[in-house]
Amino acid sequence: MTPAPSSSSAPPQKLMRLALGGAVFLTILSGGLFYAATVQYGAQPTADVVKVEVGDKTCNPNHLSVPAGRQTFEIFNASSRPIEWEILQGVMVVEERENIAPGFRQTLTATLAPGEYRMTCGLLSNPPGNMVVTPTAASDASGDAVPSLKAFIAPLSEYKVYVTLQASAFERKAAALAEAVASGDLNKARDAYQATRLPYKQIEAIGGRFADLQSRLDVAALYLEKHEQDPAFTGFHRIEYGLYEQNSLDGLQDVARHLSEDAAALKQRLREAKLSPDYLASSASLLARRIADGRVDTGEDLYAHSDLVDFAANLVGMQKMAALLAPAMTGDALPAAQQLQARIEALSALLDSFKTGDAYPDYTSIKADERAKIKSAFNDLANAFEAAGDALGRVAA
Amino acid sequence: MTRHTLFAAASFLLMAGSSLAAPSTVLDLVEPIADYKIYVSEKLDKLVEDTEAFTAAVKAGDVEKAKSLFAPTRLSYEAIEPIAELFSDLDASIDSRADDYEKQEQDPAFPGFHRIEYGLWEKGSTKDLDPVADQLLADVKALRERITDLALPPEKVVGGAAVLMEEVAATKISGEEDRYSHTDLWDFKGNFDGADKIFQLVRPLVEKQDPAFVQKVAGNFATIETTLAKYKEGDGYKSYDKLTDDDRNVLSAAVNTLAEDLSTLRGKLGLD
Ligand SMILES: [Cu+2]
Repeated sequence: MTPAPSSSSAPPQKLMRLALGGAVFLTILSGGLFYAATVQYGAQPTADVVKVEVGDKTCNPNHLSVPAGRQTFEIFNASSRPIEWEILQGVMVVEERENIAPGFRQTLTATLAPGEYRMTCGLLSNPPGNMVVTPTAASDASGDAVPSLKAFIAPLSEYKVYVTLQASAFERKAAALAEAVASGDLNKARDAYQATRLPYKQIEAIGGRFADLQSRLDVAALYLEKHEQDPAFTGFHRIEYGLYEQNSLDGLQDVARHLSEDAAALKQRLREAKLSPDYLASSASLLARRIADGRVDTGEDLYAHSDLVDFAANLVGMQKMAALLAPAMTGDALPAAQQLQARIEALSALLDSFKTGDAYPDYTSIKADERAKIKSAFNDLANAFEAAGDALGRVAA
Repeated sequence: MTRHTLFAAASFLLMAGSSLAAPSTVLDLVEPIADYKIYVSEKLDKLVEDTEAFTAAVKAGDVEKAKSLFAPTRLSYEAIEPIAELFSDLDASIDSRADDYEKQEQDPAFPGFHRIEYGLWEKGSTKDLDPVADQLLADVKALRERITDLALPPEKVVGGAAVLMEEVAATKISGEEDRYSHTDLWDFKGNFDGADKIFQLVRPLVEKQDPAFVQKVAGNFATIETTLAKYKEGDGYKSYDKLTDDDRNVLSAAVNTLAEDLSTLRGKLGLD
């Protein structure tokens, strides 16, 4: 038999110290072997060791109720084959002991949050046992605390994956757009333009914060001294101007090539960017505010009038962000998460209401009162992200 | 100053004023975990693609072809085994052994790769394997879906490398996993590469704090790699029967040490 893997919560040195402290009992097994099981004490004065016997068909007891917190289990394999014993939450293994030989016992210490769990009982065909972990004063108290920064590693990683994939798509589509422009096919170039814009708009909250790149990729003629005739008029809107206003590909080859290079640079920049929860929220808030304060009134896509498509893509990206942050926004941050969800749903429903089938109408057809509604929904969203950012800033602090 | 440069300058200040760099070290794990997710996604794409070909061979009744695809197909699954604790139901359905079932090989519930392995090598036939092959393909596709939507818990990723090394040390080293085909060295390759990937991704975060630890772990992975390399044959590995006792001892010692060392990684990274 191989030694039990040491529990992550009880490193070997600590076990040794506890063992020397005297809380050791030896079990003499039928095979004449000795097996030392450690009983944890001190750190959890009230926790008794929970004993579980695994038989050929079932665990005994097959239903357990234990208080939240650190809990030590002693598993005795009373069956005729080697077993592994696992505590499951949904399909996820929370803790396990591998390879417990028949007639042997092993201990396992796990820190469990309140909730419903299952335990495996030998063969896969054996029905799992139930375990209910009940709240304690301590677990209730920790639920009120600010969420821990650790809880944000997974959502931030996932958002990073999302951004990375979108940035790669942007890079690929921008290269295809440059090719389409070079090929001289106006319709193909228009399709490629719209396809390139989508991934960029989805990650604009983060990607748009690199000011140097942003001013090349997505600058509006409105902000340039000589408007469309300004030499600094480049990027998406310069291409859009050619494709939809001039109906010509003249002069677009270099612009499209530069866009493609900047897309590659953006991907690299995003790869290196360090993300934090409040940085995400403040970036989204900034973008929602920028849209509410400017683009909704003036329009951004002055030649293609595809603003609603942009808004929807922006929303998809922000929705992704909110959905990932939400599960980690516990305790004090919970109301902010709920408010954010409500604002996203409201804006999503509003944008959907303009759709005919899958398509959004030309933005010029959106009347002033409708624009006022869009503006106010983006403002609400900006406020909700700002509140979320405040709550998350307290986490990061 | 043009409006353009004013605009750019204003947004640059906004950017500089915010906390692009998080103060805490615990968030330094964001990039490694994101990179690991991408690694896993690539392995799962490969697994689905390979399983399509493997199960097609099984269903076509082509025993020799199916045998030749068995171990290479499993390679990508074994590489993501450090996180198998996140999908215990599918892991059971894809990769459980006959011992997990009451009637062992004769149990109709015995599924997945090893049920097919049993048919191909022990029975030399694909008889009764059609539904098993269909289920296996459905399961690997379900796994890819599920992982795509899952934010990987960092403690499970980092802890998973140690858990897998423990499993290799405790059970796999006996050759129990691929007991009919003896293709265990392929699985080892996948397992060690998968665990090493995790170690390599977080390595920069522990290197300064504990260079001796990093050297030791890297050394043990290298020992394993060198030992496995002796058994290379074609694109893969020789039968597990060919592993000498000496080399098995070398592997066993290295993997036991790795299991022990890697179990401290969560703590070193502030994840306990
Ligand atoms: Cu396996």
